[in-house]
Amino acid sequence: MAACTRGLKNLLTSIKFCRTLQFQDERFLCTSALRFANNEPPKFVPPSKPVIINKTQTTASTRRFLSPEFIPPRGRTDPFKYFMERRDMVRRRKALNIPEFYVGSILAVTMADANASGKTNRFVGICIQRGGRGLGATFVLRNILNGQGVEICYELYSPRIQTIEVLKLEKRLDSNLMYLRDALPEYSTVDPEMKPVPFSPTGEVPVNKLKVKMCPKPWSKHWERPQFAIQGIRFDLCMTPKQMEFVQKKYAKPWEEYDMLKEYDTSKLEEQIFAEVQQEMNK
Amino acid sequence: MRLTLQTLISHGRVARRMGLGPESRINMLRNILTGLVRHERIETTLARADEVRFYAEKLIDYAKKGDTDEKAMKMASFWLTEKDLVPKLFKVLAPRFEKHSQGFTRMARLPNRENLDRAKMAVLEYKGNPFPPLYPVKKENELTLINQLLKGYREEKTQELAQ
Repeated sequence: MAACTRGLKNLLTSIKFCRTLQFQDERFLCTSALRFANNEPPKFVPPSKPVIINKTQTTASTRRFLSPEFIPPRGRTDPFKYFMERRDMVRRRKALNIPEFYVGSILAVTMADANASGKTNRFVGICIQRGGRGLGATFVLRNILNGQGVEICYELYSPRIQTIEVLKLEKRLDSNLMYLRDALPEYSTVDPEMKPVPFSPTGEVPVNKLKVKMCPKPWSKHWERPQFAIQGIRFDLCMTPKQMEFVQKKYAKPWEEYDMLKEYDTSKLEEQIFAEVQQEMNK
Repeated sequence: MRLTLQTLISHGRVARRMGLGPESRINMLRNILTGLVRHERIETTLARADEVRFYAEKLIDYAKKGDTDEKAMKMASFWLTEKDLVPKLFKVLAPRFEKHSQGFTRMARLPNRENLDRAKMAVLEYKGNPFPPLYPVKKENELTLINQLLKGYREEKTQELAQ
């Protein structure tokens, strides 16, 4: 009795298994349904496309961002030169993922170095400047190691660069943080073993409204003068308001705001180049 | 050490050096531009006319944006030192050049100045001004024999066509 019930149970489970096997494949289901519906040859149903998840490339940001080195500078050079450079830049970007970053973000760069053990060296630092246009675009990373301030200027499209990771994506109040050389060292120190801070691929980039405390004067440049237009320094701790007002008044150039020769409107160029680069990258 | 000597090398510089410095240059150009907007045809030295030409065209571009635009109004009130010319710019000059996208000014050279400096002179004008043209159009003389014969021929033809 027990044996036959066991056998029956096995039979039942096997039937259930077969049934689940039958209905797992939708093609099978479809064909079987049709066969039961009418006695016609089953219609060809193409198999479902496989979903490839590329785990090596991190999720691309859906922010509309065009790297500043794509925008050509004002000048009399032939636009064809910049077009050729852009093509090469896109080719390099397909080989190496250059992420979106701004001045003030913390990056980690591994570069090929013949003399280092393991043939690579890794440097972590805060980006203080992004210069150059085209293939010669550079960015300067600053960090303080063992009490010594170190700045390394990397070329974005150099073949020696193996990875660029953004550990912390943020913007600062200025587009040029060279004044960190004259600021207190705590503002330039970045932990080399810092863990990447997660950031969302959508939405606004966070602006760090940090105002930096400076070392006593003299500084490498007169950062208080209006030509630099720096927002991110605590001037009230360095000089009196009267001194600040004096300097701002003396070195002010109020006519520069109205000088039409100095205007360079890049909005249309940017849109064109953005569309072009997106097209090339998606090919 | 700075590898570029910004003050001595002028590669790619578009602005001429005029007057006592950048502020003086802008003030001079402002005065000339105000005179141009008032009189619509002025004569100055060649270099000044060439510099003002760029600013004159850009001012018209701003004026085309309309006087409700804040930036356009600020530009106009900065560049025109005589404030009664601001409405003239927006109401007379901007509509005149509505159809044109560029080329609002014309520059022509004049004989050198009579002074000791013999400076190169030029006349700068806004197109569409009420004065007689700078390059007068030469009309053919109707009283020459060939022109009279042709005139007669044309009249005969029109009479034949009318019949």
